[in-house]
Amino acid sequence: MIRTTNLCRRFRDRLAVDRLTFDIGEGEIVGLLGPNGAGKTTTLRMIAGIIAPSSGQALVDGVDPALDPAQVHESIGFLTESPGFYERLSARRNLAYFARFYDGVDVEAAVEAALRLVGLGDRAADRVGTFSKGMKQRLALARALIHGPRILLLDEPTAGLDPEAARDLRSLIVRLREDGATVLLSTHNLAEAEELSSRIAVLRTRLVALDTPGALRSRREKPGVDVRATTWNDEAIRAVTAESYVLGLSGPSSGLVRFRLADPGGDRPKLVAKLVEIGIEILEVTEASRTLEDVYLQLVREEEA
Amino acid sequence: MIRRIGNVLAKEWLLMIRSPSSLLFSVVIPLLLVGQAIFLSWILPRFLAPGSLGLAAPGAVGLSDADGFRLLILSQFRFFVLLIPAMVANVFATLSIVEEKVTRTLEPLLATPVRTWELLLGKTLSGALPAILIAWASAGLFVGLVSLLGWGALLPYILTVSALLSLFLLTPAVSIMSFVLGVIGSSRASDAKSAQNLAVIVVLPIFALIAIQVTGLVWFTPLFTVFVALGLVAADGLLLVMAGRLFGRESIVTRWR
Repeated sequence: MIRTTNLCRRFRDRLAVDRLTFDIGEGEIVGLLGPNGAGKTTTLRMIAGIIAPSSGQALVDGVDPALDPAQVHESIGFLTESPGFYERLSARRNLAYFARFYDGVDVEAAVEAALRLVGLGDRAADRVGTFSKGMKQRLALARALIHGPRILLLDEPTAGLDPEAARDLRSLIVRLREDGATVLLSTHNLAEAEELSSRIAVLRTRLVALDTPGALRSRREKPGVDVRATTWNDEAIRAVTAESYVLGLSGPSSGLVRFRLADPGGDRPKLVAKLVEIGIEILEVTEASRTLEDVYLQLVREEEA
Repeated sequence: MIRRIGNVLAKEWLLMIRSPSSLLFSVVIPLLLVGQAIFLSWILPRFLAPGSLGLAAPGAVGLSDADGFRLLILSQFRFFVLLIPAMVANVFATLSIVEEKVTRTLEPLLATPVRTWELLLGKTLSGALPAILIAWASAGLFVGLVSLLGWGALLPYILTVSALLSLFLLTPAVSIMSFVLGVIGSSRASDAKSAQNLAVIVVLPIFALIAIQVTGLVWFTPLFTVFVALGLVAADGLLLVMAGRLFGRESIVTRWR
């Protein structure tokens, strides 16, 4: 549904997006992760046909947005970073205004359906200026969905929302996923990306990684072992580090030390025995799983280096 | 295409109606200009000694000194009428564009199938049409007041061919120019006030026209009025092309601040 090939965008002497190549299949949700200035919004804008690439190509359902933006706009829904509404007009009037730009849309029915979908049916007649940020964001999603697009581009949909509003919006996106929508979602929220996305693309001007959240977590390093104890002392740490199967450790932090082992499965009993032998009072031993945040930060640091 | 332009037009007018300041401005400015012309034509001849100025409009034969002087003031109204679209259209333009910038509605708008020229044309018509109609209504009010005050005999000298040409050719051309300059100014400005500073570019030449008329250096014959109108239409075309470039998707998203 969405394909980019060597997509580049340069703003004067600054390269914002560098040779970005990826495919997103029908019904897939791909989370676009990256620090500020990584090129996430620029990528979405190029795919949406709002700005043209400096080189390379994007295809949306087989159509190049740089060549025929109007046709692409008929098939996509774009939730921009800022919701942006005419504050002196009602929610209904705002949506109707945007809906009238699309061909073959029954404006009245589409507006009412979109308002119901985002739970704003009872506030339809109210001026948008009276809405909270969460309500505006939900209304912006309604606007993006007003013409029933099969492809959604969502630029930081939950940014700045309180936890409850963010959860409501994520539930909505999950429902869209269940209805078969293809979604490219830019976010800073790693948990959100993991919850919603079938694959995650890490972007830092260029594409650093693109994989499923599980594969991203496990592909970089073997998981270690977390040991929680009542107390740790330097002597014990030195003694354990001297063992040949201990490749490294981090901590202690709040009684927890994370050990990196040559063979986490096989070496774990040896590690526990050693710790008992030197008098460490163990409370808990668990397999250390790398979070998506660990992976993301490592990828970004590697890219910076 | 027409549906989309109409949609922009309808939304702009709805927002104008809901903006008390722009409505007030578009009523107050014309009333001030009409009132000023009428008041000066009534008050000044009372304080002038007969023959003291020796000024009269060309062709004003057989009029008293007071009426000749009055005619000189009243016949300038066709230029004052040009100030109305110049100022009103500019206010509408800056409100229209700056509001989109402040509320950040342009990017979602650009993600719809509306073409940028449809958006620009819809906005230009939404500002230029009311400005033209207000200017014509002001001219109608002016003629009505002149008749009401018993100066009807002066109307044949005021409503000359060149005055009518000015009203029906120059007014639309100035209105479009003012709106488009408002769009250009707004593309760089972050608030309505700084964008409206560009209105001076339109207003100053109109004041210059009035000054030239008063000194009698150049008199606006019908042919000269048509030439000026053609010049303004050409300038409008150039400015529209420039505004079209500034109003492109790329510029709006990457350069407008």
